[in-house]
Amino acid sequence: MAADRPCFPTSIHRSTPNAIRLNRALRMSRRDALLGALGAAAVVTGSRQGMAATAGQDDTGVPLFMALSQRLTDRDTLDPRIGNALYAGIINAVPERRDQIQKLHDFMTGGSFASARALASAAEHQDPVFKDVIQDIMTGWYRGLADHKVVVYRSALMFDITKDAIYPKTYATGGPFYWTQTPPEVAVPTGEPALSPSKLVIEPT
Amino acid sequence: MPSEQDLSADVVIVGSGVAGSSIANELARAGISVIVLEAGPRVDRQHFVENFRNLENKPSYQGPFPAVPWARHPPNQITPNEYLHTTGPDAEAYQQVYLRMMGGTTWHWAGCAWRYLPSDFELKTRYGQGRDWALKYDDLEPFYYQAEVMMGVCGPDPSVEDLGSPRKQPYPMDALPISYAAQQFRKLIGEKTPYRVVHEPQARNTRPYDSRPTCEGHNNCMPICPIGAMYNGSYSVYHAEAAGAKFVPNAVVYRIERDSANKRVTAVHYYDPDKGSHRVTGKYFVIAAHCIETAKLMLFSADEQSPDGIANSSGHVGRNMMDHTGVQVSFISGDKALWPGRGPLETNVIDNFRDGDWRNERGAYLVHMVDDNQVDLATQLAIAKGYVGRELEEQIRYLASHTVRLFSHNEGLADPDNRLTLSKTNKDMLGIPHPEVYYKLPEYTVKSCEHTRGLFRDLIGLMHGTDEEWTPGYFPQDHPAGSTIMGTDPKDSVVDGFCRTHDHENLFIASSSVFSSVGTGNITLTVAALALRVADTLKKELAHA
Ligand SMILES: Cc1cc2nc3c(=O)[nH]c(=O)nc-3n(C[C@H](O)[C@H](O)[C@H](O)COP(=O)(O)OP(=O)(O)OC[C@H]3O[C@@H](n4cnc5c(N)ncnc54)[C@H](O)[C@@H]3O)c2cc1C
Ligand code: SF4
Repeated sequence: MAADRPCFPTSIHRSTPNAIRLNRALRMSRRDALLGALGAAAVVTGSRQGMAATAGQDDTGVPLFMALSQRLTDRDTLDPRIGNALYAGIINAVPERRDQIQKLHDFMTGGSFASARALASAAEHQDPVFKDVIQDIMTGWYRGLADHKVVVYRSALMFDITKDAIYPKTYATGGPFYWTQTPPEVAVPTGEPALSPSKLVIEPT
Repeated sequence: MPSEQDLSADVVIVGSGVAGSSIANELARAGISVIVLEAGPRVDRQHFVENFRNLENKPSYQGPFPAVPWARHPPNQITPNEYLHTTGPDAEAYQQVYLRMMGGTTWHWAGCAWRYLPSDFELKTRYGQGRDWALKYDDLEPFYYQAEVMMGVCGPDPSVEDLGSPRKQPYPMDALPISYAAQQFRKLIGEKTPYRVVHEPQARNTRPYDSRPTCEGHNNCMPICPIGAMYNGSYSVYHAEAAGAKFVPNAVVYRIERDSANKRVTAVHYYDPDKGSHRVTGKYFVIAAHCIETAKLMLFSADEQSPDGIANSSGHVGRNMMDHTGVQVSFISGDKALWPGRGPLETNVIDNFRDGDWRNERGAYLVHMVDDNQVDLATQLAIAKGYVGRELEEQIRYLASHTVRLFSHNEGLADPDNRLTLSKTNKDMLGIPHPEVYYKLPEYTVKSCEHTRGLFRDLIGLMHGTDEEWTPGYFPQDHPAGSTIMGTDPKDSVVDGFCRTHDHENLFIASSSVFSSVGTGNITLTVAALALRVADTLKKELAHA
């Protein structure tokens, strides 16, 4: 028979005589990736040291990442604390991304792209790997994820752009039975995709 | 390692889920001494809420609830699984999840609280299919009401919307005001089809109730309500403890000891996480360890007196595994924006296929329009389609407001070949085998699912839907039942109509494991009603003792 390998110290209940400490041990460990632990420090100090804590050795990559992110989201302002943490996650997951982000940035500054769509479609044409870089950046800002970790939940852009209609789960603040009210109508979109389509892979539950 | 001191109580209960804790509460309030042995740890809501927020794969209902190594539960619904090993032609359709921790699996239920129909208890007599229960709807009616009061169930006024289960009392709480999306769905079905959408009875507060707040519409009932507006087993634990019941966490029961005549249970034995063994004696014993773990415990307790396991002279322990295996589809509606996901997750149901003469050949089913926040899925879809920037934002809004998800609960049928056994190849750190289940979907359920697929296609057409995504195969609905089946004949059943085992006069089972048919609604209100009936029987017998 194959016996289970314990996933954390099996004496945990003894080191934790009260329930609260045991429960703390039951918390998922990857939560430390969150913004609080990462980007906030960088912003408060605003120093190279703070940046380095987030993005490894490569703090010079962050401004490039932010510039690219602004173009690819068609937004003038994005939260730099989130940017720091996303950049760190993205290059941690795929180290080649550091170089690819630099190259995509060069490509952007070497041309003149008036929209996210213009940049993205030209970039994929230039080098198919840029599509993956761009989708990492979209996933980061819109879903709040990088390196298979939650960087931000409530502050992910997908919730910013739907906040007139709906709340992120566990953060509803609409008042009693708000859900009975009529939400905003949404027109059929007319915009075109910029990148070639990929298969949607839904993570199994 | 023997324990220094034996524990003892009038009634010893294994498992602190809704079944075990509600019995404990009733008995403790009647002054009866109770010990509840719970395999998992004590937990608190806020940590699970935090875990949820930090979870990448938000639809994973098990995700926020990591198991402890001495009381493992299935980590997910993936086949092959690390804990619940399913086999057979429909192995994936039986990949159930549940939780092993204080309060049990209702930490992440959806609160749907249906009474069964009178016909559900008489499937054999009325339709020549499956089995009859050893009790009738009327026997359970008062306990259904008691369970509804305990959980705080809101539901429709029966004179306006009759759900088919006769009631002597109105629901304890008024109906929930339904979401805009549900209102539109209801209107469409009412106007354009011969069917109806009813208000789902649900254990969710529409006013402050039992010191819990009114529902705020966080849309996170599964996997974790952040504020406790929805009942779960932990509330019965708190009440039972306040009334004097003793709950022992991290106590994994592994053996059920009987007297020399093998007629009465004398003690249960549990391991603590260091594998220290403890013996707990009592006058009565109730196994309330969830359908899968209950059968596993009874099989693992096999010894010379009972080589096939406890209460298993019929050979039916572990057999007759059932579920409400369903069908699921999502699509993009071509009609007006619905914005699903505002308010509770499951509130509205098409109930036209719950009962009818056709049940002599195919199973009944319920259809849920799942009122689930679709923003994250919409974002994934829009990114995969290749959108960026402004166009991406337009797509996210459109997809999030137009995605519709439907799923069904289709009736399974007791088949002795669908069987739970102890894994021969995997055991946990205490040396207790993992559960293994062989599953082949009954033809009765397959036909029911086919019918549902036809209905879903009609509904997609009606809503001018596109981009259909069908969940491949069948969808396990986490309503396992049947593993210690109820019946009047001790030769082919494990418990009688009072959930007392035929073989051992002081051993009761409180779980969906006793169900003789899986019925047409979610299972837990019936689990709770049966458990409260067990409590009633125990109170009477202890009063006479
Ligand atoms: C995602 C999901 C959604 C659901 N939604 C609904 C719904 O909307 N409506 C509905 O009716 N039902 C729903 N259910 C089903 C519902 O959760 C169960 O029916 C219910 O929890 C059963 O209660 P129980 O007390 O029998 O078992 P549980 O709640 O599972 O409690 C059993 C307890 O026994 C303990 N135990 C197990 N083995 C041992 C042992 N050896 N020794 C000591 N203790 C042990 C466990 O740790 C556990 O705490 C849902 C289930 C899931 C997974
Ligand atoms: S909608 Fe929110 S508050 Fe209401 S029961 Fe569900 S999770 Fe709890």
